[in-house]
Amino acid sequence: MLKRSLLIGCLSLIAFGNIAHAESDPKKWPLVREAFFAQRPMADAPFITFVAPRRAESGAQVPLEIAIDQTQAHANGIKTIYLLVDSNPIPLTATYNLTNKLGKFKLATRIRMEMDSYIRAVGETADGKLFLASVEIRAAGGCGGTVDGDEAAIRAAAGQIKMNVESPVKFGNATSTTFIIKHPMRTGLQRDLVSQGFVPAFFIQKAAFTYNNETVMNVDFGVGTSEDPYLRFNFIPSAPGVLAVKAVDNDGKEFSHQTDVKN
Amino acid sequence: MLKRIMLAIATVLNASLALATPLTMENLGDGIYVHHGVHEDTSEGYHADICNISFIVGSKGIAVIDTGGSLKTGQALREAIRQVSELPILYVINTHVHPDHIFGNAAFTQDKATFVGHEKLPDAMERRRENYLRINQQWLGEDFNGSELVKPSLIVKTTANLDLGDRTILLTAYPLAHTNTDLTVLDKKSSTLWTGDLLFVERTPSIDGDIKGWLAVINELKNNEAEFAIPGHSSSLKDANWKKQLNDQERYLWTLLNDIRASIKKGEVMEKAMGTAAASERSYWQLFDIVNRRNVNNIYPALEWE
Repeated sequence: MLKRSLLIGCLSLIAFGNIAHAESDPKKWPLVREAFFAQRPMADAPFITFVAPRRAESGAQVPLEIAIDQTQAHANGIKTIYLLVDSNPIPLTATYNLTNKLGKFKLATRIRMEMDSYIRAVGETADGKLFLASVEIRAAGGCGGTVDGDEAAIRAAAGQIKMNVESPVKFGNATSTTFIIKHPMRTGLQRDLVSQGFVPAFFIQKAAFTYNNETVMNVDFGVGTSEDPYLRFNFIPSAPGVLAVKAVDNDGKEFSHQTDVKN
Repeated sequence: MLKRIMLAIATVLNASLALATPLTMENLGDGIYVHHGVHEDTSEGYHADICNISFIVGSKGIAVIDTGGSLKTGQALREAIRQVSELPILYVINTHVHPDHIFGNAAFTQDKATFVGHEKLPDAMERRRENYLRINQQWLGEDFNGSELVKPSLIVKTTANLDLGDRTILLTAYPLAHTNTDLTVLDKKSSTLWTGDLLFVERTPSIDGDIKGWLAVINELKNNEAEFAIPGHSSSLKDANWKKQLNDQERYLWTLLNDIRASIKKGEVMEKAMGTAAASERSYWQLFDIVNRRNVNNIYPALEWE
């Protein structure tokens, strides 16, 4: 039987090396900002807030919530939110085009992060004023990573939608809605080991939400939005009706879904 | 004169080769040696020495099972092997793709050892290459110097036998479980099974594959007749009952899966479940608050589609 006895060697490995603490690089933002909002002034936006982990548990699915503590009726009502991740290879993660049906904007999503980074929410008003809020998240490895599995099955399942409106619905009040669409959201940065190149980008580009045929929110997704794009947002259903979504991927394939909102 | 130069060169070579302090090994008898890593998280404060590292000495040569998280750890392992035996190092086996198990491989290229792994290991290494090199460099600094990915040249699709002379070891590859590259090693002579990270002891099991697949593999391992097991992580093998350890791990994984399913059914959000799922297991495991949250984050999105 196994004998547990003598120890060989005398010291376990103790490392005294200089540990390089990587942190979010603040020097990237001026470049990203210049690329997306060249020369335009930008004010701080204390009314835009985040709920985010200080350190992401998984770079592939980092939960992030953005809220605006004012409505569209405000003098500087935010019409559009640009969500950017400074250190991702493709910073623009999503663009949310808002309407007054959202009430005070509150949206949770899941994003990819390749490394420690600042996250930026840039709000734009109808007259083109820009407001900036930032949060730092430490993370690793969400953008390259693994592409594995049955390609045909992945393609066949892509586009399935789940939408759920919180019940009981309080008409006229903010109501939480969850939307998930099955999609691999290929970044174009993942290695293709057969061709030695990269797996082509394949991702949901847009999702348009309507309530009784009126626009609630239009979302433009970038590949920084995680696999199986997830949105949880508040909207205000004034009366019973139908919440519908139409999504399209970069192959031009359309997917739609609707759900009845009633008592 | 030439002789002197040669001597000087030899001295320098010896000095550089002897730099690594041998890894502390536990001699289990029967030609089996194990080093226990410490239960650190893979983040800042990580020292590339957290997993169990083993070698088996046969009459013809030696098989290494996992090599630690850096060239430095691999070199220390090699020093420890050389204190025990001068036989050739024939095989270096990686039980899966995780960096704490593979980055010492490069210490054994000089031995012309055959590197062995799961069929999917070469691809998995390639896909993770950039990220692994960057984050390990970040965590370890100069202690990561010289570490590189060395891929297996002998791959295991289902099972394979490796001949060490007086003993043959059986390698078995598994479908998606802890990772997509899980491999076990069975030494029939001593009735010992190396589980890789298909079995965690003390340290919270981490899921980088598929929780349901892993639970299926656990069921399979329950029927394994090996008398002893060497898990992927543990601080000691004293009085270890590996079937009980397997049951403990199964209990954690089922609790986690059931709690996440219940959370999804209730319409809760992932962020909440990251703090509550499997909370009843908290006192049984080390690094629980870090690893369990990561597990929920990793598996919750896929379970929303059940």
